[in-house]
Amino acid sequence: MLDLLGSSERSVSDIATHFDMSRPAVSQHLRILLDASLVAEARHGRERRYRLQPAQLAPVRDWLAQYDRFWDDRLQKLQTVLAKGGGK
Amino acid sequence: MSKSIRKEIVVPQPREQVWRALTEPATLAEWMFPNNFEPRVGHRFTFRVPGNPAMNFDGLTVHCEVLQCDPPSDLAFSWAAGALADTRVSFQLQPIGEGTRVVLEHSGFDVTSPFGQQAFAGAAHGWTRMLGQLSAAVQKLVGV
Repeated sequence: MLDLLGSSERSVSDIATHFDMSRPAVSQHLRILLDASLVAEARHGRERRYRLQPAQLAPVRDWLAQYDRFWDDRLQKLQTVLAKGGGK
Repeated sequence: MSKSIRKEIVVPQPREQVWRALTEPATLAEWMFPNNFEPRVGHRFTFRVPGNPAMNFDGLTVHCEVLQCDPPSDLAFSWAAGALADTRVSFQLQPIGEGTRVVLEHSGFDVTSPFGQQAFAGAAHGWTRMLGQLSAAVQKLVGV
């Protein structure tokens, strides 16, 4: 859903067409994302539209990037340990 | 809405040797951290990541529980550290010729729930910084 909201601002019904979810389920999902400040809501007449707040995602991306590097380091070390005969 | 990290390496050693490197605490400590791992489902254990005063890093304890242990192919444990809760680390060992393909997956990085509303804004940043220091500390420690 975040990928979808990253490309443009969308209404609930528009979002619902992209997922195998009911409109109320989509609304509930959006409520969680709004509470976490991951998306922002704007009114256009009677319709509400939603868009991604990319800055709020940075911590998750950083976190993933850090762990990505962490596991590269660990697996490299595992290879070294195995080559030395570790586990034999 | 969960993200995961997946990595694969192929090593020339047979599965049985790789399995022991993953499940013997002393060997596991050589490439991870000091631990009290035991190869049985339900066992709770920790990795104790040493601090590095020079880098203002106090050290860290990773809390884990063995979720799957099927020698010599599948090992999985939960992984909780700092504000990061409820993630899962799994290793799958597949024979490939004389050697082994090691598939690592670290899953359950949820964009919304595990961080919690406050953790998301604050602790995630703190932890990111800490993990950065951790990487550097580890490199110093192992002399990479």
